[in-house]
Amino acid sequence: MSHAIRADKFLLDADRTTWHDETLWFVREKRDRAVYGVPEFQELRELASGIKNHTLSRLDLYLQEFEAAAQANGVHVHWAADAAEHNAIILDITRKAGATRIVKSKSMLTEECHLNPYLMQHGIEVVDTDLGERIIQFRDEPPSHIVLPAIHLKKEDVGDTFHTHLGTTKGESDPQRLTEAARQHLRAKFIAGEVAISGVNFAIAETGAVVVCTNEGNADLGVNLARVHIAAMGIEKIIPRLSDLGVFTRLLARSATGQPVTTYTSHFAKPAPGKEMHIVIVDNGRTQQLGRPDFRASLKCIRCGACMNTCPVYRRSGGHSYDFTVPGPIGAILSPNIDMKKHASLPFASTLCGSCTDVCPVKIDIHTQLYKWRQVLGEANEIPASKKWSMKFMGRVLASTRVYGLGGQFARKALRLLPHGLTHAPSMNAWAVARELPEAPKQSFREWYAKQPAAQPAPSQTSA
Amino acid sequence: MSTTSRERILAAAKANKPAELPLPTVPDFGGEATVERFTTVLAGIGGTVVRMGGPEELEATLQQLFPEARHVASPLFRGTVPVDRETPTSILAEIDLAVLPGEIGVAENGCVWLPEANMLHRALPTITQHLALVLDQRRIVATMHQAYAQLPDTGGYGKFVAGPSKTADIEQSLVIGAHGARSLVVLLY
Amino acid sequence: MKVALFVPCYIDQFYPQVGIATLQLLEKLGVQAHFPAQQTCCGQPLANSGCERDALPIYKHFVETFSDYDYVVAPSGSCVYHVRKHFDKLDQTADVQHVRSAAYDLIDFISTVLKVDALPGAFPHKVGLHLSCHGQRGLHQANESEMTPVRDGQLSRLLRSLDGIELTQLNRNDECCGFGGTFCVSEAGISARMGQDRVADHVRNGTQVLTGSDMSCLMHLEGIVRRAKLPIKVMHAAEILNGVVA
Repeated sequence: MSHAIRADKFLLDADRTTWHDETLWFVREKRDRAVYGVPEFQELRELASGIKNHTLSRLDLYLQEFEAAAQANGVHVHWAADAAEHNAIILDITRKAGATRIVKSKSMLTEECHLNPYLMQHGIEVVDTDLGERIIQFRDEPPSHIVLPAIHLKKEDVGDTFHTHLGTTKGESDPQRLTEAARQHLRAKFIAGEVAISGVNFAIAETGAVVVCTNEGNADLGVNLARVHIAAMGIEKIIPRLSDLGVFTRLLARSATGQPVTTYTSHFAKPAPGKEMHIVIVDNGRTQQLGRPDFRASLKCIRCGACMNTCPVYRRSGGHSYDFTVPGPIGAILSPNIDMKKHASLPFASTLCGSCTDVCPVKIDIHTQLYKWRQVLGEANEIPASKKWSMKFMGRVLASTRVYGLGGQFARKALRLLPHGLTHAPSMNAWAVARELPEAPKQSFREWYAKQPAAQPAPSQTSA
Repeated sequence: MSTTSRERILAAAKANKPAELPLPTVPDFGGEATVERFTTVLAGIGGTVVRMGGPEELEATLQQLFPEARHVASPLFRGTVPVDRETPTSILAEIDLAVLPGEIGVAENGCVWLPEANMLHRALPTITQHLALVLDQRRIVATMHQAYAQLPDTGGYGKFVAGPSKTADIEQSLVIGAHGARSLVVLLY
Repeated sequence: MKVALFVPCYIDQFYPQVGIATLQLLEKLGVQAHFPAQQTCCGQPLANSGCERDALPIYKHFVETFSDYDYVVAPSGSCVYHVRKHFDKLDQTADVQHVRSAAYDLIDFISTVLKVDALPGAFPHKVGLHLSCHGQRGLHQANESEMTPVRDGQLSRLLRSLDGIELTQLNRNDECCGFGGTFCVSEAGISARMGQDRVADHVRNGTQVLTGSDMSCLMHLEGIVRRAKLPIKVMHAAEILNGVVA
C-alpha cells in the first residue's frame, strides 16, 4: 500500500486533519521563536553538521574509543548487528538479572527493533514510561511521531484509553488530570522496576558516557531505581567530546519543541555501586547507509522531529501514513535503506519544498536525498510502471521540438473540445478531483511568438 | 555472537566511512550571563528563582516556601529524612522536598548542573515531589558551551535540570509534573 | 547582453499570456529577449518522478538551445532551480556550466542583474504573494521563516513599490502550496488539501489578487480557486508588473 492511499484515509476526516496540521504547526512556530532568539543558531547548525560529518568519517575509531572508555567506567558493552541480536542481548541481560519487570523510557531504536513484543513473548513485562509512549502502548499502536508519539490522538481518545486501562472517570479528558493519573500509575511501575531500558541521545567517545534527554524525568527515575540499566544506541549516536554537547544541547530541544533545553539532560557514565549498566551498540543497516555517499548524511540525525513538524505533507497525512518507525521526511530517506520495495512510495510523499532541510539542526540535505532516492527507485524499477513508461515517452517528446509542438497543439485542442465532465472525470484525471484544469488557450506562446516581428532575426551565432 | 558482530560492525564502518573530515572548533559565543536572564528564562519553563541574602537564610526561606513539607531531605542542613545511596525506594518515594546544591546555572536556558555528589541518592532529584536547588549567583554562565567548559568531567552520573518535570504528550497541552519533581525553585544567593 | 526567454512547457501551452507579459516587461526594462523556437522543457517532471536518466536528452537539448546566450530568463523559479541544481548530472562542459549559471528566474533577473527593485505604476488592489519553494528556499529569492521572522524578498519589494498596492499578511507566509510537479497527481489528495489550505489563508486575510513568480504553483492554486468559485484573481507577477509599467 502506498503512502498516498494511507494519506487519503487520514484526509477523510477533514476536521481532524485540520487539527493535526494546526497542532504541529503550533510546534513549528514555537521552534521558530526559540530559533530566532539565538543569534548564532545558523552557525550552531553548521558546527553540529561538521561535528557529525567528522564523527562519521572516523566512526570505527570513535566507536572503539567509546567502548574502551565505557568499559573503564565499569559498563558492559554489547554489539548487535541487527534487530534480532539487539533483542536477544536485552532478553539475555534481563534473564541473567533474574528480572521479569522492565521499565522503558523513550527509545526509537527499540521501536525500530520491535523489542516490546519480543520481550512480552518471552514472558517479560515491559512498561513504556514516557506518557505518549504509554498511551500508544495501551492502544497497541506504533508511535506516529518520534518526539510526540501520541500526537495523532485527541485528548478525548486518551481519556477513553485511560478509562479502559487506568479506571479514570468516563469522559474525563482534561490533560492535567489524565497526566496525574498516569503519574500515579507509572510511579508504582517505576518503584517495582527491576531493569530499566533507556535510549541514548548522545554517546561521548572521550568519556564513555551516554546522555539521555527527557522532559518528564522518566529515564532518570527508571534507571536510578532499577538494579540494571540497559542503554540501547545506534552507532550514529557517537560524538567525540563532552564539549560538543554544548552545540547539540543548544539545538535539540529548540528544534524539537521550541524549549531552550530539555528538562533533564542526564549523563550516565558509571553504574551506581552494586548496580549494573549495559550499553547495546546497534548497526541494523546503519553501516550500509554509511556506505551510500548520497545518503550517509542521514546518519547525522539527532531525532528532533523538526522535519515532521514543518512538513506540509506529514502534517496532513499523519505519522502512520508512512508505515515506518521513523515517519516524515527523515523517515522517507531512512526507510528505503531498510526495505526499498516496501517503502518505495515514501520518497515521493513530498513536494520537495525543502523546509525539512532548512529546519534540520544538523543540516541534513533531506529534500535532496528524497530526490536522489527517487532516482535510485526509478533505476531499480520500484516506481509504478505506468509512471515509468509515460516518463520515458515524455523524455522522447521533450527532447524533440517538433514532436513537442504537435503534442501540445493536440492536447489543448482536446481540452477545449471535450466536455468538462470527461476532462475532469476523477477516474481519468487525478488533477481534477479537487481542481479545475487551466483554460486551454487557442494559441500557445510559441504560436503567438512566431507571428511577432522579433521572432524573425535569430541572434548572431558568435559564442557568448 | 557479539564478538563477531563487533568485528563486523567495526569493519563495515571502516570500509564504508568517507574520507576523513576535520573536527570543527567550537567558539565561545559569549552571551548574557546575568541573574535577570536566568530568572526570566527559568520562569518561562515553569521554574522559579528566589533570591536569598546568603546561604544562612536557606532554612528560613524554605520554611516560607514549603511550610507543609514534612519529608525533607538535604545535604545542606538536617532534614527530616536522612538519605544516602542505600536508602530504600519506599523511603525515597515519600519525600516531599529535596534541597540540593547546584553547581552551575545557565542563563540561556535556565538549567542547573547537578552532579551525583550533590544528590544524596541518584533517584532523589526526580522522585521527590518538589525540588529546590541552591546556587551561588556567581556561578551563572551564559551558554551551554560555557557550562561544559567549566565541567572537568561529568562523574558517574550527573544532569542539567531545567525547571520542573513536564509533558505535552496529550494534545500539546503543557502539564507540569509528569514523573519527576512537580516544582523546581532555584534559591540564588 | 544576449538574453533568451525560456517559456516552460505548461506556460507555453496553457498560459501564453504569461510568456507574452514576460517578454514585454523585459522589453520595457530595456532588454530585448529572444525566444529560441527549438526549446522544449527543463526535464524536471521526469527527474522528480525518478526518471532522471530519461531526462538527460532533454537536459542536453536545453543546453544546446541556450548556450549562446548570456542569460536565460524564465517566469518560473522551479525550472531555473532544476537547471542550476540538477544539471550536475551532465558532463560539466563549458556550455553546461555556462547555461547553469546563466539561468535566471524573471524576478531574480530583474532584481539581481538589472538591479531594479522599484517600478513606477499603480496597482490598487490587495495582493497575496505566493512564495514558491524553489524560488524562495532553492534560489534564495526571499527570506525563509525557518531562518528569520523578517518577511522580505525580491518580488515583495517590487510589488511594494507600486502605488496603491496592499500586500496580504498571511498566517503562514511561506508554506508550500502542494503542487510539487507530479506530486499533484501521485499524491492528489494531500496536494489538493495543501492547496485548499493555502488558498484559505489568502481568503481569510483578504487577498483579491493572488500572485507569484512561479506559474506552476499558481496553476494549481488557480485550479482550486476556480473549483471553489472564489472571488480571487490569479495572475503571474509578470502580468501585474507588465500591466502597470508604461
